[in-house]
Amino acid sequence: MSTTALGPALSKKRVLICVGSGGVGKTTVAATLALRAAVDGRGSLVCTIDPAKRLANSLGLSALGNAETQVPSSALEPLGVTARAPLHAMMLDMKQTWDDLITRVAPPDQRERILANRFYQSLSTALAGSQEYIAMEKVWELRRKGEYELVVLDTPPTAHALDFLDAPNRVLDFLDNEAAKWLLAPALKAGKFGLSLFNRSGYVLRALSKFTGTEMLQELSSFMLSLSGMNEGFRERARGVRALLEDATTGFVLVTSPHPERMDEAIHFNTLLKQHRMEVVALVVNRVHPLPTEAMWADAATLTPTRRAKVEETLRELQVLAEQDGRGIAQLQAACPGIPLIQVPRFGLDVHDITSLWQTGRYLLGDDTF
Amino acid sequence: MAGLLDKRLWVVSGKGGVGKSTVAAALALRSARAGRRTLVCEVNTQERISRFLEHPAAGPEVTLLEENLWAVDVRPQEAMREYGLMVLRFEALYKTVFENRLVRYFLRFIPSLQELVLLGKIMYHLQEKLPDGRWRFDTIVLDAPATGHAISFLSVPHVLVQTVPQGPMSREAQKMRDLLVDPSVTAAVLVALPEEMPVNEALELHAALKDKVHIRTHAAVLNQSIPERFTEADLEALVGHPELHRVAQANHDRASLTVLAGTKLERNLHAPVFTVPRLYLPTFGRDAIEQVMGHLEALVMGEK
Ligand SMILES: Nc1ncnc2c1ncn2[C@@H]1O[C@H](COP(=O)(O)OP(=O)(O)OP(=O)(O)O)[C@@H](O)[C@H]1O
Ligand SMILES: Nc1ncnc2c1ncn2[C@@H]1O[C@H](COP(=O)(O)OP(=O)(O)O)[C@@H](O)[C@H]1O
Ligand SMILES: [Mg+2]
Ligand SMILES: [Mg+2]
Repeated sequence: MSTTALGPALSKKRVLICVGSGGVGKTTVAATLALRAAVDGRGSLVCTIDPAKRLANSLGLSALGNAETQVPSSALEPLGVTARAPLHAMMLDMKQTWDDLITRVAPPDQRERILANRFYQSLSTALAGSQEYIAMEKVWELRRKGEYELVVLDTPPTAHALDFLDAPNRVLDFLDNEAAKWLLAPALKAGKFGLSLFNRSGYVLRALSKFTGTEMLQELSSFMLSLSGMNEGFRERARGVRALLEDATTGFVLVTSPHPERMDEAIHFNTLLKQHRMEVVALVVNRVHPLPTEAMWADAATLTPTRRAKVEETLRELQVLAEQDGRGIAQLQAACPGIPLIQVPRFGLDVHDITSLWQTGRYLLGDDTF
Repeated sequence: MAGLLDKRLWVVSGKGGVGKSTVAAALALRSARAGRRTLVCEVNTQERISRFLEHPAAGPEVTLLEENLWAVDVRPQEAMREYGLMVLRFEALYKTVFENRLVRYFLRFIPSLQELVLLGKIMYHLQEKLPDGRWRFDTIVLDAPATGHAISFLSVPHVLVQTVPQGPMSREAQKMRDLLVDPSVTAAVLVALPEEMPVNEALELHAALKDKVHIRTHAAVLNQSIPERFTEADLEALVGHPELHRVAQANHDRASLTVLAGTKLERNLHAPVFTVPRLYLPTFGRDAIEQVMGHLEALVMGEK
């Protein structure tokens, strides 16, 4: 029986997306949620991004990823539980997923040209939000196929929260024909292909080419042309992705560290999600330092002087960290009223095996609390 | 070992959240204290360094924080504008071109143009001179983006030189590349934590900087280290106190991880590793940066 907001989310949502700054524990939380859902009877898939090698190993994923792999039931043996539904995991290879997408939507005779074009390279790797977009597009695809009752998505470390939320719009923008038409208009009309540096807009374009050189603009327009054949398919998907994010069966899990100095990032993310009408099912505050108890201090006082000094020094340090975390959590709570907040302690060691994922899950679902 | 003061561009990078801005702030402060006119650059992010040093945010303009120390948050829009004005020379022309909606659209998709102008602004300040012919800034500390982004950011000049047809962009790129690869100018400082992933990322970053960008790793900083405190005998003696044992064991485990991480970095980077202990302060501000700076003395000033 779960007592946190993640319980109902695990049993009802079709897609959960873990977001937050780098290193806060998104991958850990994503893997944990999928594990719990499977054990509790919903077939689930966790789509991880750059998991630690040991974590990948313990999920039965080898170095070559991008394929959905069933986690062997033997992997769950140490837990003493059997999953009531299968657990799948994959490592998302974003470049490969982009290439697959193009292969799927591009007219066959254009594929190679597009894949080799350097604007495609920048669209698929460097454009702000493109990594985020392809991750979401993958989930949309998985969701459409409907093989899993629950898909949990981990997300790449995003420099700006907005890059993430805006990603579908940016891709739609990229396909915005209006701009391409403007650049190419007279040439298209004349039935040939080239840059119209000398028409009405030529003045602006000539100035622009001072930056980029004319060849760059030529190449961009040629790329836009080759894309135009697949615009509709592409757009439809991007619209689908955007709709999926707002869908009632999709929920966001916002992961954050409890550190007061970093709280602004989580609060900002939460505000943006709300503005975009996306549902945050829970705020997970990960790696919280619990406050040393009175009993611990009393116990420490019974030790021999040198040991007592060492232990008390350690408790004092923990006290500072716990108080710091307490301030951060209070800030977060005040800034995000009405959103359930779940705390996970900092464990002694990294969370890289099934047993420690399970332990993390006990906090996420409220079996254990501080 | 020679100190960083021999170099002019100090590039600080590592995994997200490991303490890049902390280390960049400490290094910049030390450089300024050594009498070098120092500029510390953050790249299009939530500004941290001015805040750590307890000054108002610098924003996108180079701003004097204190004696010998300037800061700037290099942002794409402003950097693009400065670059645009440099090429086009006239404000009015710039406006017609750059404030055109469709042009803005194209600029977003020109591969690497954004990175190029961001890096371009930093490189411009590196070469900027005072009227008397001295450098405007003796030292520039670059608080670079996290690993993956840092690699693509710093590789931009190389990539452009190789792929872009001759033109203004490729000429700019060539100039930047020459400065970045010059070991007498540029040095990288890689930051890690005593944990598996941050250490692995530092090693990846080292390899990528060496092979793709040709920047040498000058040193690594192992931040938030936990010094050894409990001996095996201590732990054994605590067995009868389960709660305290858990606390001591966790501390001991982290200390062992610190040793392992230090060894792994040293072996693979062939560069010195400087250890900065985890600090326990109620707030992380100027005091913290001063303490971190104390641990990086030999990194900046060189071994006596
Ligand atoms: N030695 C230390 N002891 C204790 N806390 C530290 C130490 N170094 C850094 N921190 C804490 O870690 C936080 C993150 O550090 P910092 O902002 O420098 O990381 P970063 O690598 O620049 O992060 P980002 O990738 O987000 O830019 C700081 O706010 C600070 O509170
Ligand atoms: N509660 C925790 N206690 C201790 N270590 C943790 C905890 N949560 C995560 N970690 C560890 O922190 C590191 C970063 O976590 P990860 O989930 O990979 O973060 P992200 O995906 O947000 O970058 C991993 O090595 C993980 O094992
Ligand atoms: Mg991750
Ligand atoms: Mg930083």
